[in-house]
Amino acid sequence: MTFRSRSLACTAAAALALLLSAGPGSATDFAIGSQIAMSGALARVGMATNEGVTVAVEMFNRAHQGRHSVKLTSIDDESNPAKAVSAIERMAPDVQAFSGGYGSNIIGPASETAERAGKVYMTSGGVASELVKRGLTNFFRINNGEGYSRALVGLFGDLDIKSVAILHSTKDATQEVAHQVEDGLVGRGVKVSTHAFDPAISDFKPVLHKVKVLDEPDAIVMIGYENDYVGILRAARVMQPKVKLISGVWSLATGKMANDFPELMQNVVGTSTLPYPVAFTDPEAQEFAKVYKELYKKAPDYLGVFGYVQTKLLLDAMLRADEAGTLKQPGGIAAELRRTATETLIGPVRFDERGDNPEFTHRMGQHQGKQVVLVWPEKAATGPVKFPATPW
Amino acid sequence: MRAFPIAIVAACYLVVPVVLGSNDYILSLVIAALTLAAIALSWALLGNLGGMVSFGHAAFFGVGAYTSALLAKDLGVPVFLAMLAGGAGAALASVVTMPALRLRGPYFALAILAYAQIFRILANQMTGVTGGAGGILSIPPLPTVFGFDFSSKLGAYLVILTLLVLGILAYKAIRDSYWGLALKAMHDSEDATRVIGVPSTRLKAAMLVVSAFMAGVAGAFNAHVIGFLEPDYAFAGTWSVIPVVAAIFGGYRTLSGPILGALVIYLLDQLLFKTLMPQGHQIMFGVLLGAMILFSPSGLLPLLTKPFARFKPAKRTPTPEKRHAAAA
Repeated sequence: MTFRSRSLACTAAAALALLLSAGPGSATDFAIGSQIAMSGALARVGMATNEGVTVAVEMFNRAHQGRHSVKLTSIDDESNPAKAVSAIERMAPDVQAFSGGYGSNIIGPASETAERAGKVYMTSGGVASELVKRGLTNFFRINNGEGYSRALVGLFGDLDIKSVAILHSTKDATQEVAHQVEDGLVGRGVKVSTHAFDPAISDFKPVLHKVKVLDEPDAIVMIGYENDYVGILRAARVMQPKVKLISGVWSLATGKMANDFPELMQNVVGTSTLPYPVAFTDPEAQEFAKVYKELYKKAPDYLGVFGYVQTKLLLDAMLRADEAGTLKQPGGIAAELRRTATETLIGPVRFDERGDNPEFTHRMGQHQGKQVVLVWPEKAATGPVKFPATPW
Repeated sequence: MRAFPIAIVAACYLVVPVVLGSNDYILSLVIAALTLAAIALSWALLGNLGGMVSFGHAAFFGVGAYTSALLAKDLGVPVFLAMLAGGAGAALASVVTMPALRLRGPYFALAILAYAQIFRILANQMTGVTGGAGGILSIPPLPTVFGFDFSSKLGAYLVILTLLVLGILAYKAIRDSYWGLALKAMHDSEDATRVIGVPSTRLKAAMLVVSAFMAGVAGAFNAHVIGFLEPDYAFAGTWSVIPVVAAIFGGYRTLSGPILGALVIYLLDQLLFKTLMPQGHQIMFGVLLGAMILFSPSGLLPLLTKPFARFKPAKRTPTPEKRHAAAA
């Protein structure tokens, strides 16, 4: 090779390298932050969500190996709003967006801090409607209270339930979902009675006594958290009100509840993304379950699915923004997220102007034997609903 | 010896903003630590001067936070004014707790703890005013005054630092006054001071009001910085426990001990322990606290000042003749 031809080859190689490295769509190292509870009152749910976030990052890195990579930084917010704010401030200079948070009370101040830093905050851990009424331009969530109430009201409509007693915790999210369920049921001509309880109480027999003697409903709806459900169901087994169904919302129709309280949970219905044991049919879901098992040596739960979906949508939007050359521009990732309209493991997702997902509708699962069977809606059902049926 | 504290305060106002001004994360940790220091100081005011150990300062912190947040958000009261009103609200709440002043020692501590629980339940139940368990989001931040944004990290730092300095000056003024002398005498024997005409109950009540005011202003400040409140957070046991821990860690019965303790335990925990052990770092803090109690029961401050003690001029003991002359 002559000097001239060698120079020409070197110049061509340099030009090619420059072309590959400079233009949009070239190899990019993304960075996202996850501020989430790994200790404190929300540790269990926070860690389960974070597992889903980690799996989404792992799957992205495998799918784009050699071209793009994502670095995930996770910080424990200790279930404390002030520490969540500090965690966001700590990560903000080094990441392009956030995927995390659990609990509306934590997500509220954390997402406002992310907004001030001009970074997208994506979550599935806060369903309070107040979160999307703040006029934030960088806040996005894939689920909301309406999705839970739509599923409960839909199932009760199909079962032709005429009267319902709602027992709900006075926490923000539970209270709000209780009102949404009440409005939905009353709108369909169902007779509804409500009983609010303080999150600190553990003896539910007086409330169940009122339900049994005064309300005499067809169904009981519990809207609270794991400890509340266990307390109510234990009291219900003692009081045995004449109802046809006992149901609830989150953290109820789960593998954990099926394993920890098998007798107490029999025939109880709750919102659920997945059947238990988990059975996936579409390829993406199967790949997700495989990677999840590789990393955590267990099957994913619904919190993991939510964490995965929120992070996958965020990373897809970041990739599109990178290709469009708007990744580092203010509002670039948020604009791409607003263009999202896709089918995911939790159903269809698109974001409105407030960052909410108006398409979100949950599925209903029922504890049957040692399994959780999806019973609503019909297209997602893995088995028929047992009705009338109670745990006793 | 007065030059040293003045130099520290000057450094806090002049050096810290220059060194940390661009690091929002570190500044936010320092702000949180100073907020805890302000509560610890208010606790120490009641404990050191009033002789009452409180396990319920969360009550005053929470009432101050709610008063200020509601006034600023719902009635549009300027934030700094609302913060003062927050302090006044907490002081007013302390009047409700005054029946507990009839109690002493652990009985008083438990009674105040009960009041904190009562206020938390009230905040939960008064849904129309407080938003109930759902709490209040988007509380107005600290304002911009003459073009300076106090809602920035630097602005918030200067506000809490100023509040703390004012608290220290108030503490010193009370301690060095005749009332301070009477309070000191009450520590040794309350019955004896009563006999010589010291209105001990009135003095203790006054200390409770001042202490509640300081804790209330700290709570109000925190509400406007975080922008969020809920009963479980505003009246959390942390606001009651941390001041006690800070005082024991820093140096019980001193002015600077609780402040030093609050700063050291929060910053060590968040900057060092959390980095070394992202989950379960509280264990390291527990071990440190245990070690401190075992090896330096008087706290960190005496441990730090011990090496310099020999440079202090020795106190002169008067001769018996001089003592008799003074007594005469």
